[in-house]
Amino acid sequence: MKNNLRSPLGLLAGVLLISVPAFAHHGGSEYDTKNLVTMKGTVTEFHWANPHCQVLFEAKDDSVKGVNWAIETLAPAVLKRAGWSPETLHPGDPITITFAPSVRGTPVGMIRKVVLPTGKELTGGTIGETRPQ
Amino acid sequence: MRNFIVRFLYAPAALLIFSTVSIAQTAQSSGAPKPKAKPGAFDARDFSGVWNPAQSMQPRGQVNPIDLSGHPDPLPPFNPAGQAKYLANRKFIDAGDVLDCDPYGTARNLFTPRPFENIPARDRLLQHFEYYDNWREIWTDGRDFPGDLEPDFMGYSIGKWDGDVFVVESRGYNGKQFLTWQGFPLTESMRQTERWQRVDHDTLKIVFTFDDPKMYAKPWTITFFYKLTNWILDAHPCTISELKKYDDTVSHRDNLPGRDYKPQN
Repeated sequence: MKNNLRSPLGLLAGVLLISVPAFAHHGGSEYDTKNLVTMKGTVTEFHWANPHCQVLFEAKDDSVKGVNWAIETLAPAVLKRAGWSPETLHPGDPITITFAPSVRGTPVGMIRKVVLPTGKELTGGTIGETRPQ
Repeated sequence: MRNFIVRFLYAPAALLIFSTVSIAQTAQSSGAPKPKAKPGAFDARDFSGVWNPAQSMQPRGQVNPIDLSGHPDPLPPFNPAGQAKYLANRKFIDAGDVLDCDPYGTARNLFTPRPFENIPARDRLLQHFEYYDNWREIWTDGRDFPGDLEPDFMGYSIGKWDGDVFVVESRGYNGKQFLTWQGFPLTESMRQTERWQRVDHDTLKIVFTFDDPKMYAKPWTITFFYKLTNWILDAHPCTISELKKYDDTVSHRDNLPGRDYKPQN
């Protein structure tokens, strides 16, 4: 599983958008923030909840087609300041999502940005001393 | 336990009752027009508002309590027991767990990269932390620590003025939380001192001193800054059900144990 995902992830590695470390809830350094990945997919679930929201989507890219990914975000409060709401995503929505993938090679990641069906782009928000978007 | 619950119930109630009263303010006539403040003017004894950590302002060479790499350098002056506890806590954190929905304690809340609101009340300063919806009371009515202090996560805090410096002394922690999210330990012996100073309109400086002889070879001090924001706090309580959902969708899928893992000493 790990090797199957690692190779396409390398090919899909995106640009480093934000140089903030992943502040993930289940550990400190489990995301590869230097090799971001961008994928197209369809939302299957969107959980607006603590400690972090979760975007689940089925990948459409040929190399990982059909894989169901779980992308965590920061907390709802942080997403709100970045322009999100509980109604931002719904099952069936086509999205393009950029995230820092898990270093374990699992279909898990930490969001950096998402392009909604409307074309609107939202970041995953920021924590620390950055002013609101 | 009862005191713990009562304190958390009292805090929101006090907010509703006293939210317009400042510890720094004297009585004001309600109908008089408020003089327009000069740009940048501020009351050095007014800490009200929503503040956000400004970690980049911390002096270099100090322990960085908000280091998101998880491997701060330098480290606090651990004694052998503290070093061992820290390594155990790191193992616990690196294994992918958090301390369920336990309140963060005061230091960890203040060193979490999330905003908090200071709400002056008649006899105390309330702090509301956004991340876990935690509350802290800093008593300003001149009281001393109670003789029968019952340890809990948020401890017991009293504040007094030293000129325009607000000196907060805290104790009564139960030692079940981390001092920072990197896993610096604390025990019931912790004596925490904070010296608050509003250095300009937008900047709050707090000098922390941590004195816990069971974990540290000597008291250690760091300086940390916070910036005033115009945010409205959007606090979310931590709930076990949401944590479990998070584990199901993220932690377990990432081959992490989530809440099933227990800390090892």
